Amino acid sequence: MRALITTGLIAGLVAVAAGWGAPFEEEDPIFPFDYEKVVLENGFTAYLIDGGAPGQIAYVSMVRTGSRDEVEAGRSGFAHFFEHMMFRGTEKYPNYDDVTASMGAARNAFTSNDMTVYYLVLSNEYLEKVMDLESDRFRNLAYDEAEFRTEAGAILGEYQQGKLSPFRYLDEAVRATAFDRHTYRHTTIGFEEDIRAMPEGYEYSLSFYDRFYRPENVVLVLAGDFDTERAKALVEEYYGGWEPGYSPPEIEPEPAQTAARDSVVEYPARTLPILSINYRAPAWSATDTMAVALEVLGRAAFGSNSDLYRELVIEERAVQFLSAGFGLARDPALVDLTTMVSDPANVEAVEARILEEVERFRTESVDPATLEATKSNMKYGFLMSLENAQGIAFSLIPFVINTGGLEAVEAYYQTLDGVTAEHLGEAARRYLVPDHRTTVTMIQAED
Amino acid sequence: MRRRPALTALALALAFAGCAGGAQPPEPANPPPTPAPEEAMDVPRLVTLPEPGSPFIAFNVWVRAGSQNDPEGKEGLAALTARVVADGSTRDRSYQEILEALYPMAAGYGYAVDKEMTTFTGRIHEDNLEAYYELFRAALLEPAFDPEDFERIKAQTLNQLERSRRYSRDEELSKELLFWMAYRGTPYEHPEEGYVQSVKSITLEDVEAFYRDHYLRDAVVVGVGGGYPDGFAERVRTDLDALPAGTVRAVPAPEPERPDGIEVLLVEKQTDATAISMGFPIDLLRGDDDFIAMLAANSWFGEHRNSFSHLYQVIRETRGMNYGDYSYIEAFPAGFATQQPRTNVARRSQLFEIWIRPIALTEPGNLHDRSLFATRAALRELDLLVEQGLDAARVEETVGFLRNYTVNWGNTISRRLAYRMDDAFYGIDQPGYLASLRPALDGLDAGTVSAAVRRHLQADGLYLVMVTQDAEGMKRKLLSGEPTAITYAGPQPDEVLAEDRQIASYPIPVTEEDITIIGIEEVFENR
Repeated sequence: MRALITTGLIAGLVAVAAGWGAPFEEEDPIFPFDYEKVVLENGFTAYLIDGGAPGQIAYVSMVRTGSRDEVEAGRSGFAHFFEHMMFRGTEKYPNYDDVTASMGAARNAFTSNDMTVYYLVLSNEYLEKVMDLESDRFRNLAYDEAEFRTEAGAILGEYQQGKLSPFRYLDEAVRATAFDRHTYRHTTIGFEEDIRAMPEGYEYSLSFYDRFYRPENVVLVLAGDFDTERAKALVEEYYGGWEPGYSPPEIEPEPAQTAARDSVVEYPARTLPILSINYRAPAWSATDTMAVALEVLGRAAFGSNSDLYRELVIEERAVQFLSAGFGLARDPALVDLTTMVSDPANVEAVEARILEEVERFRTESVDPATLEATKSNMKYGFLMSLENAQGIAFSLIPFVINTGGLEAVEAYYQTLDGVTAEHLGEAARRYLVPDHRTTVTMIQAED
Repeated sequence: MRRRPALTALALALAFAGCAGGAQPPEPANPPPTPAPEEAMDVPRLVTLPEPGSPFIAFNVWVRAGSQNDPEGKEGLAALTARVVADGSTRDRSYQEILEALYPMAAGYGYAVDKEMTTFTGRIHEDNLEAYYELFRAALLEPAFDPEDFERIKAQTLNQLERSRRYSRDEELSKELLFWMAYRGTPYEHPEEGYVQSVKSITLEDVEAFYRDHYLRDAVVVGVGGGYPDGFAERVRTDLDALPAGTVRAVPAPEPERPDGIEVLLVEKQTDATAISMGFPIDLLRGDDDFIAMLAANSWFGEHRNSFSHLYQVIRETRGMNYGDYSYIEAFPAGFATQQPRTNVARRSQLFEIWIRPIALTEPGNLHDRSLFATRAALRELDLLVEQGLDAARVEETVGFLRNYTVNWGNTISRRLAYRMDDAFYGIDQPGYLASLRPALDGLDAGTVSAAVRRHLQADGLYLVMVTQDAEGMKRKLLSGEPTAITYAGPQPDEVLAEDRQIASYPIPVTEEDITIIGIEEVFENR
């Protein structure tokens, strides 16, 4: 099968080396589409990518602000709340929804720790219209306090529709246990008490917009079927007058963890026990071999292809599932091994087995075949995501959010190519350290 | 587009033809293929969607059986069987070996079971086509029915039924209960995954028998799309002709009853938010003459997860009551997970459905008032729609929205292929449903749409499901008929407040006999 993994798309990578505003054409890059980069004087950056189905464009605005930026007490969830407010209109376009409906655009947005992403997928005949619309709301959003208070109700509704998710309970407990200072301590949707207090935060919301929704902090990824020269001119026309002024928050770094942490959380409904074992991780990087090696290690050692998965999930059926979350974040966060234990009496035994396997990879190398299979999985996973304009744009989100640009995609896969089994072992020894571990067990509350 | 005549009469005839009394003679070894009943309805055996130059190839294998084919007492068997096929070993490879083989390709294959359809789907990069297809083919043709796989899958399924389904997402549970209510006494009654007790009773022998009886060469439709090489699609079809001959027992199309009045199911649960679903059977299927007009009307009224939805504007946008409010003329399971319409959930019977995402309490004691206010708002809007229809401006606005919005429904090869399979189910001629939408929408006018609304919608007889706390208290409030006003965190325009007064007292006519209360632990425990 390895012989079938052919050449052009995943052969050796060539570093990007072209000037801004010039077309990029590389030999054998992993990202197979031509694109142009536009950087305005105000710091606004746009990537214009030629790819996807005829007649369609994906217009994706990536704001490098998420719940990580919610540094003030009582303001958790505000990045997400503000995402909602961005649909409330401007003086020029008082009813955003009417305009997007008239274009038949599929549109939505999402917020997470490190980002807020707004996207529309629509016919390319509306290129100028959507650029006008989107630039306008990023520059001139206008809503009154009554609208703000009304939308706070929808936020509460969103919170409620997922409130009883056991994984949200677990996530809240993991963050509260693992983090003392950094804003990763709270979830993106926020603490319930902060959500219920949101109606009173109108003035704060205006300051949020003023500080974070600035050209230096937003990257446009436009992918699809359009005239690149025309798009470049439109970017200058509609975003060129946007005043810079991004004010990055002072995010308190998380102090080093010096001892293992444990907690137990009760879920107020029925669940089998869920065990979450977490380790401190470095920040995402395209060029730090150890960071990329850690991401690879998670998949190779603990993924669906691993000995541990075979043993616990398939052969012994000791767990309902085993997942390895080794994707890194913009700031140092956590990597996790999460599992649902089939028999509540076996939680300790399952935990011990997992830790035994963690220790194994601190001393034994991942075998070469598994490493190569994992690299292939990661590369084909990336390629498989490039099916349409939206997929193309979305595939670039981690690179843009973490670095401000998509150039890092080539660097990342070049680093990946150079990762060896020795690197994986070194990453395990460096990061999967007992004193850097946080373990949370979620159990069903007694009646 | 044209839909074939209703299957009901023919299916019924065939069902009764098989019910002659007395012992049947043993079937001869290797009997000649007999056409499945549906073949008389001209379902293609191979559906292709070539897209030369695409690096992706998509598969969609439709087994013409679903939960409607579950034997009584073994509800969930079709789903469990499909999962054993998709997530189990084959004769030549253990499940682990299959995972190891798929892993470098970043690929897998999935399954879905609905009332009438079981589909196995996958997508692969052209670099890995042969290796992938070998695994996919073997899964369908050579499942090992390994006892350990079965135990693993059954345990995971029961965990989901006993815990996740009841506790982790009430807004989905309310939908499932609505369908259960509306289809009681019909083959559509039970949820596709079955009941807790029925699944507990399923054995590996049951699974093997279901596979043997339903995974038949003439009951399987093969779909291939994308940049596949010449002859490949035909090869897949030929390979699947290795399945045995035989016919699937025909299941009559369900004929659900519309309730006489409003019939209510309250599910008692510890919760701070009420999940609400309501609806009633409609005589409307894709391909019917009224379908596009109703698609437009429904889009205006409640386009799924889109602010274009009128219900969304009334309940969420104006009043900030919840995360969203939508309506449907075709089944839409797991709507929380996607913005695009579901594919491969084609059915011979549909409901008109309203989905009100959970309404939260804003202060102690106001949950029931807020929940009933939202319910009343939805009923009132439905009533207004039936009474007034859509005027020319609204039809024009809706057509303008839908003719572009629907383009995105086929944004991947897997979705485009899935729509082609649904075309086969509904007997829709080429160019197919997706391609026919724009010209059909462009042909609509207010008269056509409003007439269709009056033919298919009404607000007098429907099923209403609420998953809520203090169900007895909710029942008392419903029976009392008292107005249920809401308050706001900030000022509201006078016109909104005036409308609120009408909504708060909008009648929900119910009697004691119309309301049933069950506890959350009873939900889908038994038939």
